[in-house]
Amino acid sequence: MDETDLRLDGNALAGMLADLLGFEMTVERGGCAGCGAVNQLGALLVYAHGMGAVACCPSCGQHLLRIARGEGRWWLDLRGLAWLQLDEQARMAG
Amino acid sequence: MGGFVSRGFKRRRADGGDAKRLPPGQYAEPGFPVLTAGPTPRVDLKEWRLKVEGLVAKPREWTWEEVQALPRSVFEGDIHCVTRWSKLGTSFAGVSVDTLLEAVEPRPEASHVVAFCYGGYTTNLPLEDLTGGKAWVVWEHEGQPLPAEHGGPARLLVPHLYFWKSAKWLSGLRLLDHDAPGFWESLGYHNHGDPWREERYWGD
Amino acid sequence: MGRLSWRLGKVAEIRQETPRTVTIALDVPGWEGHHPGQHVDVRLTAEDGYQAERAYSIASAPAGERVELTVERLEDGEVSPYLAGELRKGDQLELRGPVGGYFVWEPDRGGPLLLVAGGSGVVPLMAMLRWRATSGSQVPARLLYSSRTLEDVIYHEELDRLAAAGDGLTVAHVLTRAQPPGWTGYARRIDAVMLEEVGWRPGERPLAYVCGPTRLVEVVAGHLVALGHDPTRVRTERFGPTGVP
Repeated sequence: MDETDLRLDGNALAGMLADLLGFEMTVERGGCAGCGAVNQLGALLVYAHGMGAVACCPSCGQHLLRIARGEGRWWLDLRGLAWLQLDEQARMAG
Repeated sequence: MGGFVSRGFKRRRADGGDAKRLPPGQYAEPGFPVLTAGPTPRVDLKEWRLKVEGLVAKPREWTWEEVQALPRSVFEGDIHCVTRWSKLGTSFAGVSVDTLLEAVEPRPEASHVVAFCYGGYTTNLPLEDLTGGKAWVVWEHEGQPLPAEHGGPARLLVPHLYFWKSAKWLSGLRLLDHDAPGFWESLGYHNHGDPWREERYWGD
Repeated sequence: MGRLSWRLGKVAEIRQETPRTVTIALDVPGWEGHHPGQHVDVRLTAEDGYQAERAYSIASAPAGERVELTVERLEDGEVSPYLAGELRKGDQLELRGPVGGYFVWEPDRGGPLLLVAGGSGVVPLMAMLRWRATSGSQVPARLLYSSRTLEDVIYHEELDRLAAAGDGLTVAHVLTRAQPPGWTGYARRIDAVMLEEVGWRPGERPLAYVCGPTRLVEVVAGHLVALGHDPTRVRTERFGPTGVP
């Protein structure tokens, strides 16, 4: 087994992102700050483990999102996203 | 964090290992979990170089053959991951960072180091955490060539700090006169990372 | 739609599907329904506060407050041996969801539909097929389902029944490790030739959903695109390293 086996889709972050941001994030679109490619977050390539996760642009590999998970805390680095679109329809019920 | 307890659920390996050797909050893990935050860089050994640069009198690059010819140094002991597993009684082999630093002659104002890697990972350390027999660049684990998923061809090894400081796929060390937080350190993890003081996150 | 944070479901039933997989039927008070293909995050907490979390695809079509998960017990797993070994009827399970709107198919999205599954990757695809049947959809659908051996095929009888219903579903099985005498299905790892034989032509513009171990998913998705399918119509759900079917 190598890291190829460990690669996931943006879907793997769906629960955590919904919890943090209140939207069903996998269907939301974002623009890559590196190459400009627009993707639904569900289409991103994700590497995740106990320390946190990165979600990469499927076109250029740039980190669009970096999330570190502590105890009761999360850190989000969204520098890799030039923009993020959120749709009212994808808002999660409380 | 939540009051619900799942009936009959226990962590997978609660026992094993000498409790005195475990830093606070850690458990003994016989395996060697792979934690990766990106694709494994594939590095051709013919192209591979190890660089030590920055505030040094003689910046230097070693090829694979050259670094293998340096005096061999072995670490036997324990490693600790911030995700709470510790692997006790493991071994790595390579070259002591002291040997590399001797060759490049750090300038007096050099106080910190950034380890930079194939694939873009970085981590930062005070220079003194890399000297005095505390750190290695290693390419063997338990007698076998270091597998790519564990950082091969070569990784940094700094076993007295949490294992995210033992940067995989090491490309080089840059000596600086200031601290420059690396990947996880910029994302909420502790800047220093001493497992014996449980320095896991910012503010610990 | 869906609740943001952790809530409890009660185990109503546990059914053994194959030697290695079980279906856990949960009653989740306040469940507002889900879309086929979505998953939940399940969280286990030990008495010492230790927590482990994993994502599990919802196997059932939306049906009131009933949510079914089908879990494969992994040899060196931490959560799956508990779910597929220790968990009992009446126990409570902490879950969050449903989430994962990206990997959803419902009849109003149209087709034709190509579903490719490796091992337990069939679970979210089964939710899609169950909903397709319940809602009387005639969207043409083809499932290519790879398992190790015959006894590892999850939902085998139900898939046979769905395929015999005459509503435009065909199911092709792949057994990669061992085949029973007289086996007429595929007996090798999924490749481009197989996908071309089983799948739709690119000109038919199918919607493709590929789910299972990461390696299989990437190989299959790569073949589909190389065969000429529109990459924006190929959706993947990688399960990570759950063994190679």
